[in-house]
Amino acid sequence: MLADALKSEAYRLSKNRVAVFCSVLLTPLLFAFGGLFYHIMVKSKGDALAAKANLPAAVGNQPVNLAESFEFAASNGANGVLLVFMLLAAAAVYAGDYRWETWRLISARNGRPWLLLGKIGVMKVLAMIAMLAMLVAAFAFHLSEALVAGRPISFDLSDFELGRFLLLWLLSYIRIVQYGLIALLAAVVSRSLLAALFVPWALGFAQSILGGPLLPLIGWEPSDWAAQLLLPGLAYDSLKAAVAPAGQPLPEGVVLKAIVSLILWSLVPVLAAIAWFQRQDLSKE
Amino acid sequence: METVIEIQGLTKTYGTVKALDGLTLSIPRGGVYGILGPNGAGKSTLFRTLLGLIRPTEGTATVMGGRIGDPAATRRMGSMIETPRFPPFMTARQVLVWLSHAHGGVPAAEIEAWLTRVGLAEAANRRVRGFSVGMLQRLGVAAALMTKPDLVILDEPTSGMDPPGIQEMRALIRSLADNDGVTVILASHQLQEVQRVCDRVAIFNKGKVITEGRVSDLTASGERLRLSVTPLAKAMALLGDRASLDGDALMAAVPRAEAAAVIRALVEGGVDIDEARWVGADLEDVFMSETGWTGVKSVSVTGASVQGGDYAG
Repeated sequence: MLADALKSEAYRLSKNRVAVFCSVLLTPLLFAFGGLFYHIMVKSKGDALAAKANLPAAVGNQPVNLAESFEFAASNGANGVLLVFMLLAAAAVYAGDYRWETWRLISARNGRPWLLLGKIGVMKVLAMIAMLAMLVAAFAFHLSEALVAGRPISFDLSDFELGRFLLLWLLSYIRIVQYGLIALLAAVVSRSLLAALFVPWALGFAQSILGGPLLPLIGWEPSDWAAQLLLPGLAYDSLKAAVAPAGQPLPEGVVLKAIVSLILWSLVPVLAAIAWFQRQDLSKE
Repeated sequence: METVIEIQGLTKTYGTVKALDGLTLSIPRGGVYGILGPNGAGKSTLFRTLLGLIRPTEGTATVMGGRIGDPAATRRMGSMIETPRFPPFMTARQVLVWLSHAHGGVPAAEIEAWLTRVGLAEAANRRVRGFSVGMLQRLGVAAALMTKPDLVILDEPTSGMDPPGIQEMRALIRSLADNDGVTVILASHQLQEVQRVCDRVAIFNKGKVITEGRVSDLTASGERLRLSVTPLAKAMALLGDRASLDGDALMAAVPRAEAAAVIRALVEGGVDIDEARWVGADLEDVFMSETGWTGVKSVSVTGASVQGGDYAG
């Protein structure tokens, strides 16, 4: 039953070319071409300034290490631009059956929980593909840097730590999936595509404000249970800091609280959405 | 009688409105079963409940032996509730493939066969966003039937279809019941269509079944004696309120057992009878009489024919 739901949802999403392009390809393409533009600008401006000041070329001749792309992609996998565009696909997958009035067609063919879990599974696969596309874009970024500046290319893995890379990758992945799960809950409760799009976005924006400058003003410390549990963005940042190579020391217990927070934010929206969906009147679409 | 649906005291309320009011009904396996009723009678609510789209407020129902909403039971059903809608970016063929995946898969050749059978073979690669209501209905029917269900629920399947499409649909429904052994439950406001295609009907009003039975039995109970007589006025006077006019003829609402006595009384009263024959009531008469719908069945307005009437129920 779950396999059928996954196959069905994946097939439909594969035909929604706008959603797939925006969620998987747009951000990596923007990043890769933006990087090319940036390197050309740096090169031309740098050369012009150096010529004016009668100095050697501004950009040095050190090799560009393509292996740095791994860590770059892992730690920036859940960047804001990607999250926003991933929400387009999440809204289409989670709220599409309400918008297109197709629940009455599909819900009689499979169990309700399986249908929602199928959607979640498809979004998880999509998030992984988007991150892999970001990895390719990171390679393109470094490659264009080398080609534009005429610098040699190297692939030096001496600073690469597989464990750190995998942890950063996992954290970014969880972050993307969590945004999608908030979209799922918003879609099921509101039956609205716009709510699925904007509720996670608004929640993310509120978290970035509350977890940053406003945190001391509301009397919370980053190590507080309340701060970690209510602000998954803060939990994500705490764990990222813990994994960083030159990691700053974190208050005791923060890592555990952050892990609990991420687990809860991964489970509660799913369970709440399924519970709500089980009792929902699907004739009102 | 083996049944596919057993309903006991089913009630569904929306606020203070009772869409279904203690409905009890058994639908036999096989054949085409019609559900009739004026708008708001509870037909669509019943279908939505049977498909597990909504939960009843009270009462129980079993579908194909399983409780309502049981995926194992609903997977053996095909349905089309009102005009179906589909993701607009998909083509007709993609819609069927998508729905078949959710159901465990249907071979591609069968999907093609259904596209042909409902007359959408040429439009199979067109996106559904440009489809007419009739084309959406055809695609909805293909989606409902392609999984070879044992029970099919069709709510207004010919809505928006042109006359040839309606004829094809009627033939398809009959063929499903006669050749494929599928039980078809059909709701339609096209009473002539229902009379032609259904074996049994239930007439709903205000969330309840007000009459149920074989179409032939229901229409037979309303049969009348059609008499061509002279003088007409004398015959009308002799029969009193049992008589009505149908053009130049007189329609006598008398049981078959009394027919001979009535004819004898007319002859003895000085009425010449040129012709006498039995005329069955149509389903429209039964429907109007059972639901309390009064007034004209059709009215000619400046050359156009319109349907009209007042609901007195």
